[in-house]
Amino acid sequence: MSNRTTPQRLDEAIDRLLAGDRPAVEPELRPLVDAASLLSAALPPLPAGRQFEARVAARLAASNPLARAAEAVGALARRELRHPGRLIAAGAVSSAAVGVTVTALAVWRTNRRHGAAGHSAAHR
Amino acid sequence: MSGPQRAPAPRPLTPDPDLAAVVAAQADRSAFDTLYRRYLDRVYAYAFYQLGDHHDAEDATERTFLAALRALPAFRDEGATFRAWLFRIAHNTVANAHRSRTRRRTDPLPEPFDRPAPDADPAGLVARADELRTVLRAVAALSEDRRQVILLRFVDGLSSNEIAEVLDRSPGAVRVLLHRALRDLAERLTR
Repeated sequence: MSNRTTPQRLDEAIDRLLAGDRPAVEPELRPLVDAASLLSAALPPLPAGRQFEARVAARLAASNPLARAAEAVGALARRELRHPGRLIAAGAVSSAAVGVTVTALAVWRTNRRHGAAGHSAAHR
Repeated sequence: MSGPQRAPAPRPLTPDPDLAAVVAAQADRSAFDTLYRRYLDRVYAYAFYQLGDHHDAEDATERTFLAALRALPAFRDEGATFRAWLFRIAHNTVANAHRSRTRRRTDPLPEPFDRPAPDADPAGLVARADELRTVLRAVAALSEDRRQVILLRFVDGLSSNEIAEVLDRSPGAVRVLLHRALRDLAERLTR
């Protein structure tokens, strides 16, 4: 008991007080425990209004699909972030895919332009 | 140990009594209703004593539970109990509400006398109202951090370890705050 600090001993006395006991404490702490006792008796619990309770319950129950989608994305991101190697590989593959697509598009457009030029020259 | 630095999150000394309900709600969101009903009044009381207005308290309470439901998949049993985690959300929500207010509240603690029990004894009500007014005045005169510790401990029934999680302080610092707050209150109440 002696190697615990005064705030620790007071805290333990309050734990017992809130559990419904009347804790035995040294005289030095008695006025503080009495103040704690007065506080716990005087500060009233405040029930929320029943209409309010029902309204919020309904909002929680109908929590919107967008929030669920965001949660799913968040969960996926959290899962992926646990494997940085996978993220790097996915990033590299995505970059390569974008590069290949852009190059293919450029080649296709160039060929098309040349084809159109050849076609109009043949007409003349 | 009682220094102001934040200690690493300790594991709760007792198992989290809400853990089964939390796991159920993580698997099925509709099971969150159990946790909501369990903590609605306490979160509301915390918001009301901090904000001093029923409407503001209801708004903060609603925001707290919606945020908790959104964040619930991320909750892990790694030190803080569910209720400490929930009150931390409430604490942040109330702090945001304080910041967004245009006027500064002059009476830091309201007097919640408007809902007496229907069969209450009038003389008892008057005596209780006087006692409550005296206590509220004394609590209102405390500094912000001491007042928060008193409300979380005596209105919401959180342990010092849980309050430490809510306020992002060490348990030792919370115990020192509680000790000083009660010493201050004892002096005020015996004057």
